[in-house]
Formats: sequence, C-alpha cells, structure tokens
Amino acid sequence: MFKRIVKNFGPEWGAAVMGTAALCITMQLSSEVARPFSPLLYIGLGFYLLAVVMFIAFFIPWTLRFFMYPEEIKKDLKNPIRGNFFPTIPISFILAGTGTNKLGPMLFGPSIAYHLSIVFFFLGTIGIFIFGFLLIREQFLNENIHLEHANFSWFIPPVSHLIIPVLGVCSMDVHWADTGLAPVLFIISMIALGVGSLNFLFVGAAIWHRYIYHTIPQGRLAPTIMVGIAPTAIIVIFLIKFVQAIEASHGTLFGINLISIFSLVKITASILWGFSFWWLILVAILLFTHYVKIKNHPLEFGWWAYTFPLEAFTVATGLLAQCVAIHFLQGMLLILNTLAAIVWIIVVFGTIKWLESGAFLNPKH
Amino acid sequence: MKYRSLIIALVIVLTPFVIGITLFLARSSGRIPVKAHLSADTRENNGGITYKGIKVDWTFYPDWEYKPLFWRAEKYLVFMFHYTNTNAHDIVLMPSYVFVSPGNRRYSANEEISMYIEDDIERTLNVADQTPITFKLSPNAPKHYIVTFEKPHKLKQFYVDVDIWKDASLRIYYRKKDDKWENYKIKRVNKYVGRG
Repeated sequence: MFKRIVKNFGPEWGAAVMGTAALCITMQLSSEVARPFSPLLYIGLGFYLLAVVMFIAFFIPWTLRFFMYPEEIKKDLKNPIRGNFFPTIPISFILAGTGTNKLGPMLFGPSIAYHLSIVFFFLGTIGIFIFGFLLIREQFLNENIHLEHANFSWFIPPVSHLIIPVLGVCSMDVHWADTGLAPVLFIISMIALGVGSLNFLFVGAAIWHRYIYHTIPQGRLAPTIMVGIAPTAIIVIFLIKFVQAIEASHGTLFGINLISIFSLVKITASILWGFSFWWLILVAILLFTHYVKIKNHPLEFGWWAYTFPLEAFTVATGLLAQCVAIHFLQGMLLILNTLAAIVWIIVVFGTIKWLESGAFLNPKH
Repeated sequence: MKYRSLIIALVIVLTPFVIGITLFLARSSGRIPVKAHLSADTRENNGGITYKGIKVDWTFYPDWEYKPLFWRAEKYLVFMFHYTNTNAHDIVLMPSYVFVSPGNRRYSANEEISMYIEDDIERTLNVADQTPITFKLSPNAPKHYIVTFEKPHKLKQFYVDVDIWKDASLRIYYRKKDDKWENYKIKRVNKYVGRG
C-alpha cells in the first residue's frame, strides 16, 4: 500500500501545506486587531503545528517518489498542469520558515526560531530555482504544449519566486539585520522578485490569450483561476515587510531610506492590493456565472487552489492595514480571515471525500 | 461521506482550534505567571520629554521574562512608549527604535516577542498598544507602543534611540547601579535634514 501511495503522490500535495501554513499568519495578524481577538494568535500556532506535521508527512513520500518512481516524476514534469505544482513543496519550506519566523519564538525562543527559518529559506530557495528552471525548460522545449493547455496553475512557478523575498525580508527584520547575512538575503530576494514579477507578466499574457481566443478550461481546473490573486497579493506582503525591515535597520537599509520610499510603497501596495481584490470578485463571477451554472465544478484535490491565494490576500490586507485605511482594512482582515478558515474547512472535508472516492490511486493526467 | 472519513476530517479541522484555545486558556489563566518588575514610569515624575508638541513618556521593564513553550525562559528589555500630542492639530507618527549596547552594537526591536506579551502589558498598564507602522495622534489622546529588545548577557549599560521627530531623535541612557537600572541621561540628538 505504501508503495502505491508513493507512486501516486503527485506534486500537488504541497498545495495543502501551503493552504494550512498561510492560515497561521492570517490568524496572527487578525489577533493584533484588538484584544478580544487575542486567542487567534494561539489558533494560528495550532495551524502552524498542523502545517509542520502535514509538511513532514507529505515531504517523505514526495521525496521517495523521485528515487522509487523517476518515470512518474518525468511524466508529471512534462504534464502542462501537474508539472507546475512541483514548486509547492519548496514553497512550503518558505512558508514553514515564515511561520517559524513569526510563531517559532513562542515555541523555542527567538534564536532557534530565526536560525531555523534561515535554513528553511535556503532549502526553499534552492528548490524553487531548480524547479523554476526545469519547468521553463520544459515549456520551451516540449512541442506538445498547445494553446488549450494554458491555465492559471502556470502562475505557481512565478508565485514560488515571489514568495522567496517575503521570508528574505522577514529574516532581515530583526535577528539578521546588521549582520553579514543581510546583504545575501537582500540580493537573493531581489533576484527572486525580479524573476517572479516579470514571469508573472509574461505567463499571465499567455494565459490571458488562451482565455480570450480559446475555450476556458474545464471545471476541474476552475480553482486554478484563484491563483491569479496570489502574485500581486504577495508583492504587497513583500513591500510592507520590506518597509518594516528598513525600519528595523534604523531607517536605512543598503542606502534605501524609509522616509523617502514609504509614500511610494503605500501607493504601489494599495494599487496591487486593489488588483488582487478585483481578481477575487472576478473569480466569484466566473465560478457562479459559469462553472456552477453549467454544473461543471467536480470535487478535486485542486480545490486547495482556493485556499492559499485567498490567505495571501488576507495577509496582504492585514499588512496594508498597518499603513493605510487602518480601520477599513482591519475590518476586511477579520472578514477575510473568517472566510479563509471556512474555505479551508470545506476543502479539508472535500479532500477527505475525494480520497474516499479512490481518485488518489487513479490520477487523471 | 463515510463515518470514518467524517471523524478524520473533524479531527484535522478541530486540531488547530483545540490546540490554540487550550494554549490561550493556559497562558491567560495565570498558570504561566508574568515575571517582570517595573523599573520606571516617566509619567509618574514628569520625566518624559516634549519637543515640537509631542510629549514622549515611557514605562520600562528591565527583565520581562518570557517562557517559550518548549524552551527555557529568557529576560527581555521591554519599553512601552506613551505619545501625547500637545499641539492643537492632529499629527501622524512613524517612530522607530534602536537599542545600542557598549561597543556600539545595535539591535532592532523584536516585534514577535512584543506581540506575545502584548496582552499582559496592556492589562498591567491598562492601555492599548498600537500595531500600525504609522498612526494618527490627536490632541491630548495619548497612544502607546510596546518595544521589546533581546537582552545581551552581562549588560551593564545601554541607550535606546527613539526616532520620532523629523530633525531629531530621543536618546535614553540606562546603566546598572546597585543591581538597579538607572535612567541617568536623556538627550535629544539632532539629525541632518539637508541634501548631500
């Protein structure tokens, strides 16, 4: 049985860790709104611990599959949908590192937590860049990729690069500020930000082209539309965390002055947040006026795509609330956090039902 | 859905909430006591400083002990700054804080520890902490901000820079005398605000 599990353990399982891990940050941010919400900090810690258990449980078969069933790995890498989910496990490293950075000091003190999150940072970064190159190579050289294959899961590799600088600047925030590691973290973060943000635009254009000039994907890929929320939301998170890192570095980081960039960051972050919000409404419109209407929205593992992007948007809202429209955005943060938790609960039940149906052992390529 | 699957799903879904609520109740019930002693509150002896209509006071806990769940307790230097606007108009503040120990070693404030101990401090001082990076300060409506620094071993003296005004920052000096922390000097450090 274990061998069958390993053989069918697709690259997409990291999405479940992502969808659980990000909830620890949404809960933590919500806990800061007012004292009655303080328990959410500890519920966030509960999500962090659950995400760590899931991460370990999924990382073992995910890794074993590379050695036991390399032909399955090759098949998945060539698949224009499944292949894009490979970076979800390296992303989980980055999210585990971010969770450890924020909530780890509560478990084992700041020093261990900040060292551990740096280990996660480097492991995640290496994985993300390796899969980024493998997937782009595959997309360029594979002659069997056609217009009808384009879908929003193609955003996952750019998103994976965009998430690197989030942990990079979180780490520069306190412990590693003013150390020799800070410039290394900064340069890696900036490279990843460049790769992620430009690839997001290029890939987005390709997917947009398919959605306009071809049919839109079938119902089982409907949740991937949600991934479109993530890139701009993550850039918002990066921008605000970057400002906090500069603030922590006594107002100037690598010659970048807090006062001189703060206004620009507020404007840029608000614009990008607005795009994510617009996309969230777009997802609802497409979902209810098309997929639900034509009853083409089957229960799939892919429903996990509904979780992380919504949570990333929730985190972006919580962080933006520290700079602009404080009361309005804090209200939205609480609503979105509740919504994200409800979506997560629905998806967990859906996944168990999906596993019960036996679909896991008979994957559709 | 089969009964077994339903149980599995419920266990997964409830786990973070059960862990979280249990830990919260354990922390807030007082089973993990707050170990901290107050060293100074400048509001009591009018020891704060006023410049450009912004009055800055602070409460200082030199050895606030925080015990992580799976690790030994450590002591932190905890300040709560109190800002009062004595001008007739609203102002927007964006303070930042630096801790400097002998040898000019600079440390940033630890936002995470501040977040964990926030409830205890708020309860102790009966004030609410500000979480935004920047916040509006209306006339005579004080706002408060918790700042926590990791405490270097064998610390005998230090100063904290509070970067609050456009052209100056507040420098607060502390030293240990007879096992007690003494605020021996307060200085306003002018900043260069021109070009070049």
